[in-house]
Amino acid sequence: MSKKSVAAPDRATDGLQPVTPPEAVDETLLDDPQEWPSFGRACAPADGGGAPAGAWESHVVIQGMHCAACALTVEEALRSVPGVQSAEVSAASQRARVVWQPGQTLPSHWMAALRRAGYRALPALDAHARGARQREHRQALWRWLVAGFCMMQVMMYAWPAYVADPGDLSLEMERLLRWASWVISLPVVFFACGPFFSNALRDIRQRRISMDLPVALGMAITFAVSTAGTFEPEGVFGREVYFDSLTMFVFFLLTGRWLELRLRDRTAGALEAVLNRLPDSVLRRQADGAFERVAVRRLQPGDVVRVLPGEAFAADGQVLEGHTLADEALLTGESTPVRRGPGTRVVAGSYNLQAPVLVQVQGVGNDTRFAQIVALMESAATQKPRLAQLADRIARPFLVLVLLAALLAAAWWWPTDPAHALMVAVAVLVVTCPCALSLATPVAMLSAAGALARSGVLVRNLQALESLSQVDTVVFDKTGTLTRDGMAVQALQPAAEGQERQVLGMAAALAQHSLHPASRAILRLAQEQGVQGEWVAQDVQEEPGLGLRAQVRQADGAGTAWTLRLGSARHAGLDAGAAPADGPQVFLAATDAQGAARELARFALAEDVRAQTPQAVAALLGAGLDVHLLSGDRSAAVQRLAGQAGIAHWQGDCSPDDKLRALRALQAQGRRVAMVGDGLNDGPVLAAAHASFAFGRSVPLAQARADFVVPGEDLGQVVRAIALARQALKVVRQNLWWAAAYNAASVPLAIAGYMPAWLAGLGMALSSLLVILNAARLSVTPQGAAALLPASVRILHSPAISA
Amino acid sequence: MDILYLLIPLSVALVLLILLGLWWAVHGGQFENVEQEGERILRDG
Repeated sequence: MSKKSVAAPDRATDGLQPVTPPEAVDETLLDDPQEWPSFGRACAPADGGGAPAGAWESHVVIQGMHCAACALTVEEALRSVPGVQSAEVSAASQRARVVWQPGQTLPSHWMAALRRAGYRALPALDAHARGARQREHRQALWRWLVAGFCMMQVMMYAWPAYVADPGDLSLEMERLLRWASWVISLPVVFFACGPFFSNALRDIRQRRISMDLPVALGMAITFAVSTAGTFEPEGVFGREVYFDSLTMFVFFLLTGRWLELRLRDRTAGALEAVLNRLPDSVLRRQADGAFERVAVRRLQPGDVVRVLPGEAFAADGQVLEGHTLADEALLTGESTPVRRGPGTRVVAGSYNLQAPVLVQVQGVGNDTRFAQIVALMESAATQKPRLAQLADRIARPFLVLVLLAALLAAAWWWPTDPAHALMVAVAVLVVTCPCALSLATPVAMLSAAGALARSGVLVRNLQALESLSQVDTVVFDKTGTLTRDGMAVQALQPAAEGQERQVLGMAAALAQHSLHPASRAILRLAQEQGVQGEWVAQDVQEEPGLGLRAQVRQADGAGTAWTLRLGSARHAGLDAGAAPADGPQVFLAATDAQGAARELARFALAEDVRAQTPQAVAALLGAGLDVHLLSGDRSAAVQRLAGQAGIAHWQGDCSPDDKLRALRALQAQGRRVAMVGDGLNDGPVLAAAHASFAFGRSVPLAQARADFVVPGEDLGQVVRAIALARQALKVVRQNLWWAAAYNAASVPLAIAGYMPAWLAGLGMALSSLLVILNAARLSVTPQGAAALLPASVRILHSPAISA
Repeated sequence: MDILYLLIPLSVALVLLILLGLWWAVHGGQFENVEQEGERILRDG
């Protein structure tokens, strides 16, 4: 095939092997009829372009396509297989839709044909969801186009009646124009208004009143009045027809709905963009060193995958080769891209920004932190905050009132002119907008949650945004929030003078075999001083919680081996009484052949205060908030930390009960308290606070019992979250006020007869759009958070990734 | 002015025809990927 030779050099350059040997097992698995529904559906006899009964429609992702021309090659290859009835390939989405007859061919057959043509097919598992969304969008656009186009034409026919003096227009001509308008209105009423009618009908059957009912009623009345006027010009309604009003307000309503759909996709959809980050497929290295495309769900721990720049990492893993920058904003809250080189970990859902890297997969699927975040955000997105419930409760009686008002208005005007009376009722029905009321709260809170998620704060509980906006006191728990999870070496005291480098190197050789915070602290100091690697340890044994023991010798093999112990005084074999210090200490001791221990050095450890702590506290104080510190640590340590961080109110030696009591005392003073803790040890305190943050990289997300989870290190997130919550509540209040004021002003106007139906339609469409646009501001410029991750926002919106 | 009696029904028919064209465009996916139609000319065969 000629295309293959054209396309092959392309593939060679990016490391994709042209024709990878088939993974026979995988494709024949797809021949099992039970697998078919996962990436397609059975064609009903009626659709699928005349496909005979029994045919299946399957959706696959095509790998190896580089240009639009490839799409045609793929289509040809698929169609050449007997039993394949049709194949359509979209070059933009790299997806194909294949209709095939199960009796004559099987998925593995046409997949084999694709492979012969130089491409690979993977079942598209999300085909249903994507297809449904696309159909919905197309249908909405199409309804809108029909309404818009017909509206223009109806206005042309209505124009002569507007400008003509009485008698100018012959009776026949007027009738002809009415007839023409009627014909053009038919598609608008029976097609474009379809959703309004079907929703209203559904709700009537279920004995509910919904927002579509008044609108549908208005449309039906207008059409009925105007139709009567068309066919019976001498009748009661014959004086005027209202096709122009009808088509126009339908058009405005549909415009509003269409824009609403798009905007909501973008604002609340910011959450979805985060959730749909993982790629469909990855490049996996095979036994022979070649790379092949496989679906993400086929990845196993231990697999080696190549991740290209611009792609998201599909699984947690360790970099084997290559240096790059990764954007981990969602997962760690780290706003600037982080360097990732051989040996470092990468997390699923973060983006590779710079260069291709080889990654060894360590965790897949539900084991990844990304999966936990997704589960957490999905549960939050389906919650209904208190204000939204309130609005929904108001909406129903409000709708009843609207129906009554319309009835009264019609009854009032009926004696003067029945047609005018009905049109006044229509205006009342159309102009009221309970949707603005019920959209006001959820739309604002969801876009705030989306903005927070992008900056690295996960909202577990939407309702908490309201509580957080009223907070006036922030209480910090010490460990893991103001300080890092780990520790830092504060002082190193060698037993003999001048041996700092030697003992540090020895200790580091031991420490690098342990994950204990003390070991990590020693290792970090050794790295900073550049002595790491001067000594190597053998036969390392760790007694969890106590210490390490190993044979240590110099890295170049010179000198003798030492038997060293690193750990508590007891572990090191030293006199336990030799630890008169105010902080935890770690000892390094050498043991001779007889088992006698000799102290080499002691390390005084202290908690590692986060660098941003003072700024974050200052920002909170600057925002008018009170900052308190409660800790279970010794008072001396707490006082030192409070001094460093600039916190005036502190309390040490707190048991969890003491913390709870202190919190309740603050609340008894009428304060609204936000608690910031590590989400594990202080669960009851977090639960008792008005709003709570769980902080720190080590929080297992599923267990954190806080309203907000901050997986990163940046304390500034608390400040930003509070600012954004205040902003969100301001938007909610604005929205509710606007919705109430709009309805309060427009309904009387409509009842008084000052509101033509088209203006009513325009008003309603604009009022709900305004509510959504107002909420969209939250996801654009959160106040007081200018540093809110321009990088990650840009990446989320870049076409390369959304495509 | 009698020509209007022909032209107005004709305009109605024309509107319906144009709607048919719009239907084809929307459901052919032309509004989803704007480049697609331009690229089609590059495909041979």
